[in-house]
Amino acid sequence: MNRKLVSLLFVFLMVFLSFGVITAQDEVEKPLVGFWESCPTPSNLPATVTVGAIFGLSDAVAVYGVPQRQAVELAVEEINESGYLGETVFEVRFEDSAGNRDQAIFAMTKLVEEDKVLAVLGPTLSSEAFAADPIAQENSTPVMGVSNTALGLTGMGDFVFRNSLPEAAVIPGTIAQAKEVLGLEKVGLLYGNDDDFTVSGYQVFRQALLDNEIEILGEETFAKGDLDFNAQLTNLISQEPDALVVSALAAEATQIILQARALDYNGPIIGGNGFNSPAVLRDTGEASEGLIVGGAWNYGNPNPTESSVRFVEMYEAKFNQSPDQFAAQSYTGAWLMATAIRCADFGADADLAEQRLAIRDALLQIRDFDSPLGVFSFTEDREPLHDPIAQIVSGGKFEPLAVVMGESG
Amino acid sequence: MDLLRSIGITEIVFQLMLVNAILGLSIYLTLYTGMFSLANAGFMAIGAYVGVVLTQNYDLPLWAALIGGMIAAGIVAVPIGLPVLRLRDIYLAIATIGFGEVVRILILNFDTLASSISGESVQLTRGALGITGIPKITETWQLLLFLVVTVYILVRLHRSRFGRAMAAIRQDEQAAATMGINVVYIKNTVFIFSAILAASAGVLKAHLTRTISPGDYGFDQVVNILAFAVLGGTSTWLGPIVGGFVLTALPEILREFKQYRGIVNGVILLVVIVYLPGGLVNINGWKRLWRRIRGQPSVIERIQQNTRSG
Repeated sequence: MNRKLVSLLFVFLMVFLSFGVITAQDEVEKPLVGFWESCPTPSNLPATVTVGAIFGLSDAVAVYGVPQRQAVELAVEEINESGYLGETVFEVRFEDSAGNRDQAIFAMTKLVEEDKVLAVLGPTLSSEAFAADPIAQENSTPVMGVSNTALGLTGMGDFVFRNSLPEAAVIPGTIAQAKEVLGLEKVGLLYGNDDDFTVSGYQVFRQALLDNEIEILGEETFAKGDLDFNAQLTNLISQEPDALVVSALAAEATQIILQARALDYNGPIIGGNGFNSPAVLRDTGEASEGLIVGGAWNYGNPNPTESSVRFVEMYEAKFNQSPDQFAAQSYTGAWLMATAIRCADFGADADLAEQRLAIRDALLQIRDFDSPLGVFSFTEDREPLHDPIAQIVSGGKFEPLAVVMGESG
Repeated sequence: MDLLRSIGITEIVFQLMLVNAILGLSIYLTLYTGMFSLANAGFMAIGAYVGVVLTQNYDLPLWAALIGGMIAAGIVAVPIGLPVLRLRDIYLAIATIGFGEVVRILILNFDTLASSISGESVQLTRGALGITGIPKITETWQLLLFLVVTVYILVRLHRSRFGRAMAAIRQDEQAAATMGINVVYIKNTVFIFSAILAASAGVLKAHLTRTISPGDYGFDQVVNILAFAVLGGTSTWLGPIVGGFVLTALPEILREFKQYRGIVNGVILLVVIVYLPGGLVNINGWKRLWRRIRGQPSVIERIQQNTRSG
């Protein structure tokens, strides 16, 4: 009798659980991203809509370009499976730019003038964007940078968008918050002076430090590919700064952190986007303790949105690796493009110029879009608007800067 | 034209093919005279920056910028060439690579340097950020005309006394000197011509790609320029032109191969280098290849066979 009851209960439980699983699967079907309510399911669109994507898929730049392509592939799969564009198939045509300006120009020309795509995502590097985006602008084709952070990028024309927060949107917040919780008064500044990314990062850091009335004890520079930073670090550390402020790419960032710690410097190190990578944390180990990083998104983001968690899960399941900031931004970029197409809902008989213009106008209208990056909007200047993250490495993980310091202080 | 576009050669690809042909010719000049100089990327940078400053800051037309860039590179080439060209072979190569790096780093730090000297903020080369927003004003016909004129001058040069002297120096510098050829004069003049040609390519390209930064003129660019000449062959002026065309167009034609593009591109180049060691434009190389395919023995092999059997 007792056994019967137990088995009956067990069967009941199984049925209940499987029901639970099924309903949960039903929920998985519908992505968390997208304007499902704000824009009705489109009915006029042609059978396929094609968007181009230019990423650096070969050469050194592939460390950024390959996650970008994977993230876009993931988004495309989701968009088509969930019927986000109704009966219409969303197609992305990838072209390789190899981090090379000439090739980016060729790829953009091919996509916009030969393949006649509706819009373009990319290119990967800002320097490529400055060369290739004018071609899209001349052809009145929307182009959305998903990893371009250089100053003045969207100033190239009214069809040039980006969803990647420029350094100027991330760094001032990081510095202000760091000053508030750490009481920074004097810092040493170290930056790479032969790379457009690190130089623009340096300029923004410098301005932010001046604005917050933090004294810059000294400025030191290095070049791309340098391995030994001891001379510069010794100079800066000897002046006893409250923090080291560093504008560097991931490869140099790793060495700078390790060598600063080897010189017995235990204070905070403040870095920009270049430090915001799982690789930096992995390669520096314990030395990264106390590293303060501002960024648009992070894998270890302590207070992520639901869609961010879902994105990480799906990305890891599909590609067997953790997504980085570039992947999150590209994923969001593909969704934004699809959303613009959904909301534009142009007719199949509209000519190419009208379709492109409709997408541009729809992109401009996007406000309060729930994405892995947070609540995302485009400004009138086609720049991204969402909360950046200021975080500190504590116990080998990224934690919100304010929370950690609040606890210990 | 439609046929070319269908295989991936759009107008902009064709324009850069022409630019790279000019770059190939600039290194061909020095190689033809027996100088292994790799200063071309440095001179290209000088041309590009001088040209862009002239069109952007002084509102001059393209032809004036072109001449300005060429003159600037020519002036720089004189004091560089005099000491450096005393070196030979790999030593010359290293010294000229050094020159290219000096130019690149000078441009990189120009604003800081000028600001500290003049005492006021100078914004000219914009350091690593580079100059952006350059209008695209180079036209295909201008590039074609420039290339045709250059080739015409080259053909005339080869047949002239000066051209014969160039060839003589390549064969044997000391013998040439003994014959009464002013080796120092010839070498330096050729070096200056080469610099001017590289600079003109720099000006023209800067006004095609809309943006320039010091990183464009590093060691990578030197290797590319050298590859144009080596792949095409340096026995005639046609070689570097074909080399520049092929190396620019091939990756675009191969875009259909997607991620395997780099591999296919590399294999094609490898096959060319292995089977046509003299370059694409080299009649003897093609003859040798033809004999290999047909299985006919070469002249040397025939002689060897004859001596063995006799």
